[in-house]
Order: sequence, then C-alpha cells, then structure tokens
Amino acid sequence: MALTSHDPIPTQVLDGAVREYSRDKVYVLTAIFLGAITGIEVSTYAWPDFPLWKGDMLVPVLMILMAVKFFTVAYIFMHLRFDKKILTWFFYSGLVLAVLVYLAVLSMFRIWFPGEHG
Amino acid sequence: MAETVYAHESVAEADAHAPVAHIEHDTNTGISNTKLAMWLFLASECLLFGGLITTYVLYRHPLEGPTPKEIFDIPFTSTSSFVLLMSSLTMVLAVSAIERADHERLRVWLGATALLGATFIAGQVYEFTVFVREGLGFTTSRFSSAFYTLTGFHGVHVTIGIIMLMSMLFLSLRGKLPEHRSETVEVVGLYWHFVDVVWIFIFAVVYLVP
Repeated sequence: MALTSHDPIPTQVLDGAVREYSRDKVYVLTAIFLGAITGIEVSTYAWPDFPLWKGDMLVPVLMILMAVKFFTVAYIFMHLRFDKKILTWFFYSGLVLAVLVYLAVLSMFRIWFPGEHG
Repeated sequence: MAETVYAHESVAEADAHAPVAHIEHDTNTGISNTKLAMWLFLASECLLFGGLITTYVLYRHPLEGPTPKEIFDIPFTSTSSFVLLMSSLTMVLAVSAIERADHERLRVWLGATALLGATFIAGQVYEFTVFVREGLGFTTSRFSSAFYTLTGFHGVHVTIGIIMLMSMLFLSLRGKLPEHRSETVEVVGLYWHFVDVVWIFIFAVVYLVP
C-alpha cells in the first residue's frame, strides 16, 4: 500500500514506538501524573490517619496506586499502547505467571493467616 | 499480518518533525528479534524480582536487630523514587528525539537519564551505609538479608542500565547511532523503564506497607 504525505500512517503497520509524533507532551503529562501518584503514596506515610487510607484500607490503597503507576509506565513509556499486541501478551504472561507462582508460595507459608505461620 | 509501508519516506519528508515509520521486520511476528528478545527477557525478570519480593514479604519481620520502621527514612527514599521516576521521562524523550533524528537532544536526554540513575544509586549507597552504621548488616537478621538482596539486585540492574546508557551516549557522540538505529535506544529504554517499574513495586511493598 503506497501512502501519500497526507495519509496518516496506519497503526497496524508500525511495530515500534511511532504512531504519531508530538508525543513528548503526553510523556511530560504522564510523568506529572506519576509524580502526583507518588505524592499520594508518600502522603499515606505522612498522614496515616487520613480517612481514605486509615487502618485496614492502607494496604489496598497502596496496592491500587502501585498498580496504576505500573500500568501507566508500561502502557505509555514502554509503548505497549502503541506496539504490537503480542508484546503485551509476552510481558503480561510473565507477570501473571510470577504473581500466581508467588501467591502459591505465600499461601504455602500461610502468610494470609497471621499467627499460624512461623 | 500488517502491511508494509512502502511510502514512508514521502510521509516523513513531508514534515521535518515526522518520525520514520518502523517498517515491518522480516520475521514471523513482524517484530525485530532484538526487541522480542528484550521483552521475553523482561518477562523472565518478572519471575526473578517476583521471587525476591516474595522472599522479602515472608521475612520482613526481623527476629533480631533493627526493624524496618526504626531504620527506614521514607522522605529520603521518596526523593530517590521520584528521581528514578523522572529518569523514565528523560529516557522516553531520548527515544522520541532519535526518532525525530534530533541527535543533540538525544545526547542531552541520554546524559540526563544516566545522571538521574547515578543519583539514585548514590542515594542507595548512602542509605545502605547509614543502615550498616545503625547496626543493620547483611547477616543481622532474615529481614536484613532479604532487604539487601532485593534492593541490591535492583541497584545492580540500575547500574547495568547506566552502563548501557553511557554506551549509547558514546556511540552517538562518535556518530555511530544514526536515526535508523533508533530501535537500539528503544530497547535500552525498555530495560530502563522495567527497572523503574520494579522500583515502583519495591517502594510500595518494602518501604510504605507497614
């Protein structure tokens, strides 16, 4: 397929980082977003009694913030958003496999039942 | 299978800022072997760091010696984390620069990324020194062994990343990193971002979870 200078480059023909240029602004905004999330994470330490993450809510809140940061970096900075889907499958299969294996290990050590292990 | 771009030159020439479209590689997946290998390597690294993080979670309560709460300096580590996070931004800007054939900015961003990485490592060395002075040696407790192994492995990965970045910078300065080799920078960038996402895990699980 021959393209003219007026045609947008179809996403499916690109195997790499490039779908459209002028993404630098998106990268900067993403970094600001990640910085803000890190700020919220640190706030859980600075203000432990804030109602949103008080008591038992702290760990789930931290895990959610961590996941948001992780997937933002993978999706935008690592270009999974723009790349071929097979790369996403490769990476997430490794990640899911790791999580499952280590959940099994933690279960074996009865980490979910405080007082029973050790 | 995606179609090959035959006319990408005309697209690129039409706008000085337009990137060069990546042409389909002559492989089964259409992805270059180098890039595919890096992604598979990163997938396997998930297992390595998953193992180290799991070990830390199991052994985080020390039976003797200082506890994490007594010894961690969260404001200091938060600053280090922010520095590493920002190095991901400079890395992705370096990739963007070489795709635009902007070699001057490529060098600036590569240098900035390496500098931010070195700052992070300097912070880690300082942190370890303080911990050892306060009585937390590698063999002090099961917590200290798990902690130093996990964060030390991550530090080694960052150091390897800095070496790769400096190599890229050196190649660029010698004119051996033309824009058609932008994928080399992109692959190094993938490694660097992975090191960053691993730290995102470590920072939350090791330092922030009480």
